Formats: sequence, structure tokens, C-alpha cells
Amino acid sequence: MADRDLLRALRQAVGAEHVLTAVEDRLCHSHDATFRDALPDLVVSPGSTAEVAAVVRLAAAHRVPLTPRGAASGLSGGAVPLHGGIALSLTRLDRILAIDVAGRRAVVEPGVVTAAQAAAAWEAGLFYPPDPASARMSTVGGNVAECAGGPRGLKYGVTRDYVLALEVVLPDGTVAEVGDPLDGEGCGPDWAMLLVGSEGTLGIVTRITLRLVGRPAAQRTALAIFDRLDDAAAAVSATIAAGVVPTTLELMDGATLRAVEAYLHAGLPTDAEAALLVELDGTPGAVEAQLRQVDEAFRRQGARDVQVAGSPADVERLWRARRAISAACGQLNPTKISEDATVPRSRVPALVREVGEIARRHGVKMVVFGHAGDGNLHPNVLTNRDDPAEMERAEAAIGDLFAAALALGGTLSGEHGIGCMKAPWLERELGAAGMALGRGVKEALDPAGLLNPGKMFTFGAAPVAPPREPGQTGWHAA
Amino acid sequence: MVVTARVAPEVVRRWRAGLARCIRCGTCRSVCPVLEATGDESGAARGKMRLVEAVVRGELDLTRGMQERFSRCLLCKACTAACPSGVPTDALIVSARTALARENALALARRVAFTGLRYRRVFEAGLRLGALFQRAVFRPAPDGPGRLPRIPLPSAGLHARRLVPELARRPLRALLRELAPLPHPRARVAFFPGCMLTWVYPEAGLAVVRLLRANGIEPVVPEEIGCCGVPAATSGDAATGALLAAANVAALSAGSFDAVVTACGSCGAALAHDYGETLADPAARERWRALSAKVRDVTSFLAEVGLTAPLGPVPERVTYHDPCHLARGMGVTREPRALLRQVPGLTLAEMKEPARCCGAGGTFSLSHYELSRRIGDRKLDDVAGTGAALVVTGCSACRMHMADGIRQRGEALRVVHTAEVLARSVDAAAGREARHG
Ligand SMILES: Cc1cc2nc3c(=O)[nH]c(=O)nc-3n(C[C@H](O)[C@H](O)[C@H](O)COP(=O)(O)OP(=O)(O)OC[C@H]3O[C@@H](n4cnc5c(N)ncnc54)[C@H](O)[C@@H]3O)c2cc1C
Repeated sequence: MADRDLLRALRQAVGAEHVLTAVEDRLCHSHDATFRDALPDLVVSPGSTAEVAAVVRLAAAHRVPLTPRGAASGLSGGAVPLHGGIALSLTRLDRILAIDVAGRRAVVEPGVVTAAQAAAAWEAGLFYPPDPASARMSTVGGNVAECAGGPRGLKYGVTRDYVLALEVVLPDGTVAEVGDPLDGEGCGPDWAMLLVGSEGTLGIVTRITLRLVGRPAAQRTALAIFDRLDDAAAAVSATIAAGVVPTTLELMDGATLRAVEAYLHAGLPTDAEAALLVELDGTPGAVEAQLRQVDEAFRRQGARDVQVAGSPADVERLWRARRAISAACGQLNPTKISEDATVPRSRVPALVREVGEIARRHGVKMVVFGHAGDGNLHPNVLTNRDDPAEMERAEAAIGDLFAAALALGGTLSGEHGIGCMKAPWLERELGAAGMALGRGVKEALDPAGLLNPGKMFTFGAAPVAPPREPGQTGWHAA
Repeated sequence: MVVTARVAPEVVRRWRAGLARCIRCGTCRSVCPVLEATGDESGAARGKMRLVEAVVRGELDLTRGMQERFSRCLLCKACTAACPSGVPTDALIVSARTALARENALALARRVAFTGLRYRRVFEAGLRLGALFQRAVFRPAPDGPGRLPRIPLPSAGLHARRLVPELARRPLRALLRELAPLPHPRARVAFFPGCMLTWVYPEAGLAVVRLLRANGIEPVVPEEIGCCGVPAATSGDAATGALLAAANVAALSAGSFDAVVTACGSCGAALAHDYGETLADPAARERWRALSAKVRDVTSFLAEVGLTAPLGPVPERVTYHDPCHLARGMGVTREPRALLRQVPGLTLAEMKEPARCCGAGGTFSLSHYELSRRIGDRKLDDVAGTGAALVVTGCSACRMHMADGIRQRGEALRVVHTAEVLARSVDAAAGREARHG
């Protein structure tokens, strides 16, 4: 029996204890940070690039789908093994191979946790800026595969801006080096960038060389309250027009402020339409000058109140509202679905208002917060996943949200990726030509369609291997 | 749906309510000591919640495989504290363990032990016998106090190299009876020593008593109190847990006390909070509510009433380990440190992540010894980083586990209860020879 052969060969390749077949373990690998589930038939955790390549070759020989997986903190269903097959867990590849201080580079395996990598760089006197809110759980491999961003994106850019080179296992099992570990500029097209954001559909990243930068010498934080949303948006534009690029410019809408105040009782105004949290970094002199500019611009645009942190405790106090959003939303309704949509900066107020409309139309609770500086917002639907009717209304609201973002000249995904959750809307964003191009690239690299099937460009395509019922597998007797 | 039909509807309702909060973000993965040590997705709460969800949705039975995975939790509450959505992970795990135990029966050895716990006298007799038998089963460790098993009993969690402290021959209560009452006490408190201070570390129990008395507080150990019930309840034996809880509440409500003082985070958190869940009988729950407000860890009690006894020098460099159930169960982290800082000559050097679980996890260290050791190694590395010669903590299970690890690693560290350091300081001021610590 082919399946038994495969199982035996996999055990030989990575060690029997790294091949899981029990239904309990398969269930634990059936999802990411979304509510989409699909049972893998097997969970395989290779311990080296060579083992990854061996697993990929075996999967190819047996025509078994393969879904790479980091920490499964993804928010678009990327790591869900939609067509069953092998859940390829990369968390054992968790070594920081080098922090090269002189060359300002880090070389890491894909399973290293983002925050651990950033901490190692910091300890070496350097700085890794991308800071997804999930940094304590997400892996660097997952960040590369999703091109993760974070609050600091406005000034420092996203994961893409820090990838110099990658080692990848291609769908046929060959191992390739793409990019250039010295300066990121390889010969010919920038193949590494093709892999960044490819969500495990084109290759499996097994080693990453990251660019690091110098540590900022000083940092300042401020929180401003605006009676009117439009004033807050104007303040953002005025700040950037003044030539100030904050590291962070986080917007919280009125609904978010009310939810947080009901939870924290911290004296946040419940009648304001928006709050902006600003962080600046750089040399001490420059930061002070910029802080004055920001304060002035905000007040000129009608800020009701601007608080500047004078101590580390103050910084914590100002961040408290932002950090409490999740817990506060949990008080309103148990289940929080976090979306992301990016619109041009000038359209931020329009999207926030649109979200209010959508929430009313579908009778769901929604709040909006996110990175106002680059228009990457996180509208959140507060629902109850134990209530099917409410979940249906939430789904409908999310559909309208994507449509609204596209209509405002925006994009489906600021940073959470496409996966299977946003794939149904992908063609509306890319158009027929864009879809054809994407499918062509996918087919060229993965003609058998075994790598993360059902995601992005292969969404809705027929499964390569016959799908199995949950609980029923061909791999093992028990 | 077959399975959930055998679980009480209100239990299934609680599971569903908890699961509705879980958005599967995986924050628990980043704080779970089991996941860190094993890399298993089923180690952290998110995996466990997925399994409960599978049961609720009829995708999975309450299997032995599930029971085995649910046994791999330290109940350190790190995930409960970190969860941004407020999922009561600790309560859900205990509740699932209860359902799993009912379905699959507890491992026989533990069942016998917990049945013994129900009957205090039988239990005490058992332990007394144990103290005697220990000499037969264990041989003295070549390098200091404690005993090594003569025969490896892995199924009982008694690993061949494992250090098991000697059991006391007489319980603390008997020793207390010999003390004369204080003439004008500032307060009269019920002291709930728990199993560990009664049997395993009676010197720490005596230190609590000495410390309280030196500060004008009269401690009384009520006759009928027994095990707090946590080991049984958290292993899924809810019935034994409820029986013990009811007996303790009855015993503690009988007298009139200014406070109920504990010196173990697990006992304290059970008396102050968990009994609300554990107790089945509404009348008992009513009585407990009045009692619960009076429960204090010995350090928070002393911090509250203030030390009156003069403190003498304890010239040691120490580090303080926060027991999970004291820190996250009772919210006590500042008080022990504040008291230690008052001790002349003592230097408190903080370790990295002092509130990270040491790996003991109550019965976890019995059933998953190797894993619990691995988790403990990281704690001992953090301890070593401080250069301290003495680890101070408020939990005897942590103490036992760390002492065992220290021995395995051949280190010269010692572990003591916070009360012992303070009592030693009081003794030093009184010009007495320091007896312990
Ligand atoms: C609370 C919360 C906050 C978040 N905040 C942010 C945020 O601020 N910014 C942001 O950008 N995202 C955020 N995310 C989303 C998520 O954390 C990121 O997308 C992250 O990059 C995923 O990393 P992971 O290791 O969890 O990857 P997974 O979820 O395991 O996988 C994600 C995708 O990458 C693929 N993949 C994983 N590893 C590899 C590899 N080695 N090679 C090839 N493909 C691979 C998978 O197949 C999948 O398609 C958040 C998520 C949560 C739950």
C-alpha cells in the first residue's frame, strides 16, 4: 500500500517521533488563528533543510498535498491544510544561526519566533524593526511568507524591506538560494521577493538572512484625542506633510474608545471620534524637535488633548488603551474577528464611516483601529461563534467590508495575507490579467499543485489528492 | 454528540462559553512551559481548546489520547493570565480532565492515593507508615538530607535518581499542641498548613508558627482540616476535591478567627477562590464565601498587619521564585519581596522571569517527571544567573522540585520557604541560634 510506504519513508526521513498520526495531534494542526479547519492526514516536523527536502520529494512522489506551517498565527487561513495531506510544521527549525554585528545581518531558521530574533538583534546592539502584534508567537518564516508588517511599518517598512536572502526548498525538492546575503541584490530578477508573501504556495523557506539596522537612540510617545474623525485624519496628513515620519501612528475610532473605556475606566472620552497614538524615534535632538512639530500639527487640526509621556511608566499608561482593545472587545461579545484592509491615507475617514454603516446594516458590533499612517486598518467584528445566525451576519459584514475597501481604491490585505479567507475576493483586486499571471507563476514552479493547495491562486481548484473525511485516514490503522 | 450526551449539560455550556472566547490567536503558545519544552501543539491551551471543541462538535470522543494530552499541563495559569480574550483556560482544562477521568478512569495508582486523601486519618496513617517505609524503600542520599529510591518506580513517578524528602514522623499539629498560648495576641488566626508543610517540610510549618507568634499573632491549626483537595480536583477527581473542600470549610468556619493564613499558593488559591467552583453544596458555598475573604498568604498577612518583631541580620544573597499559584492564583508577588527587603544583610537578586513555572505542577512532576525536570532546568539556569546561594519561595512543591533539580545538577544551592528566612531573621534578632534555612 502506497500510503504505508509513504508513512514508513517519512518516519525514516525525519524520525518516527516527528511524524504524528493520532487524531488528537491532527486536530491540533487543523487550523491557524482563523475559524477555518481542515484535518491534515499527517503532521511532519523536519529538523533540517535536508529533511524538509526529503519530505517534499516524498510528498511529490506520492502526490500528497503539503501545507507549510509556522506558529499558525496567520489570519487568512494560510496554514490550514485545506486538502488534507501533510501539515509540515517548521517549528523545530528554530536556531538563530548568526547575528553578524559588523555586517548588520541575522541568519535564522524559519521556525525562530519573531520576538526572539528581534531580542537577539537588540542584545547585539542592533534593531529589527518589523513588529507584528503577534511577534511573541509568530515565526520569522511565517512573517516572510505573509510579508508581515506592524505599527512601525510607516517609518521602517515591512518584512520585505529586511529580507536579503532566502534558502528555499522548491516544490520538486531542490534547494535554492535566492537573493543575496550581502546586499540583497542578486543577479537577474529579485527571486527572493517572489517568495516573500507567497504564503507557502511556491516554496518552503528554510533559512533567512535578514537586514538589521542601528538602534534608535531616543524614543517619545504621545496620545491625542480628537472630537472629529476628519480632524484626526487631517492631523495625520499634516504631520507627514511637515516631514515628520513617526515610527507609529495608531488610530482608534470612537467605538474602540468606548469599548476600552467601559473596560478600563481610565478616563478616556466616550464622546470623541478618534484617538491617535504616536511614537517617534531617532537621535534625542531630532525626536524632541519632531515631537514639538507633531504637538503643534495636532492642536492646529483641532485635537482636544495631547498627552506626552515623560517617563517609561507614562509610555505604558498611554499604550494601555491600545493594548486593552482585545480584552475590552471581549466584554462586548465573546468572539473577535480581526480583519485588515488598506486604503489610501486620505480615505481612512471614509473607510471608518463605511464600517459604521456596515455594522448598522448587518446588526453586528464593529470597531476600527490600526495603522493610520499607512492606511492599514483593522476593522474588527465582535460576534459570537457559538451563535450561527450571528456568525452569518458577521460573514456578510466582512464581505461588504472587502468590497468597500476595494471601492475606496484600497486593497484586501494590508498585512494578513490572502490564504483561503480572502481568496474569493482576489480576482476583484487583481483583475483577470493579474490572476492569470499569478496562476502562471504557480504552475511554473509547482505544476503538480501540491504546495499549499486551495490558497491564493489555486483557491477553488479541485483537490489533487482525493479528500478524506475527518477521522478517516489511509495512513494508519489506529 | 454521543460523547457530550454523557457530560453534564451545564459543563458543556461552560465549555461552549469558554470556546466562544477563544479566537485561536495562539498567545498561550508563547507563554506555555510545556509547549516550549516539547514543541507539541497539544501542549499549549490553544491545542487543548481545539480538542474540547472537537468533543463539543462531535468530532472526537473523550479518548485516552486526549486524556494523556490533557495530563500534560502544569496548571501554571500562565496562559490564563496572558490570554487577551479572557478564556478561563485553567478552569476549562480542569473541567475537561474531570470529564476525561470519568470516561476513562484515573490511573489506578492516583485513584488509590486520592481515596486515601478523603479520610484524613487514613491518609495521615498512610503517610506515617510512609515515613517508616521510606527507610525500607529509599536509601539516604550520599550527600545530604533526603532519600533516593532504592527501587526505581517510574509508574509512581519515583524516578531512580529522584530526590524525595523524608516524611515527618509526627504531623505539625501534634507539635503545635506543645506550645503555650500567647498572653495578649494581636490577632488569632487559623493556620492552614496543607499537606506539604505538615508532612514534608514541617520545619517550614514551624517557621510560620514562630514567625507569627514572634509578631504577636496566635496561630491555631483546627483539628479537622485536611488536604485542600487541589491535587485531586485538578487531576479530574472532582468528588474527592468537593468532599475535602466541604470538610475544610466546615472546620475553618467552626472557630472564630481574624484570618485564615496559608503558606502554600495552591492551598491559598483553593481556599480563597477555587472552592467557589469545587463545592457542590450551596449551603457550604455560602459558608465558604464568608471565609474566603479572610484567606491570606502568610506574607500578605504579615505585610498587612506589619512586623513588630525586630529583625536580625541574614547575610545571604537570595533570589525569589514566584510560585504559579501564589503569583497568579492569589496575586501575591510584592509582599514576600517587601518583607525580604526588610531583612538586614540580605540581598535580593531578581532572576529572569521569576514568575515562570518551575515545572513542578503538583502531580505533574509525578506523572511526567522527565518533562517536568526539563522545564525545571530552565528555572535553575535563571536562578544560577543571579549568583544567589539561596532560593526563597512560597510553595513547597516548587521547593521540592527545585531541590531535586539542584541535586541532579550537583549544585550547592539551597531552597527555603519565605517564612523560614524571616523566622531566621527574627531568631537572629532575639539572639537565638538560627535553627533553619
Ligand atoms: C493577535 C494577532 C495579531 C497579529 N498581528 C499582526 C500584525 O500586526 N501584522 C501582521 O502582518 N500580521 C499579524 N498577524 C498575523 C500573523 O501573525 C502573521 O501573518 C505571521 O506572519 C504568521 O506567522 P506564523 O509563523 O504564525 O505563520 P503561519 O500562520 O503558520 O503560516 C502563515 C503562512 O505562511 C506559510 N508558511 C509558514 N512558514 C513557512 C515557511 N517556512 N516557508 C514557506 N511558507 C511558510 C504557511 O503555509 C501559511 O500560508 C497577527 C495575528 C494574530 C493572531
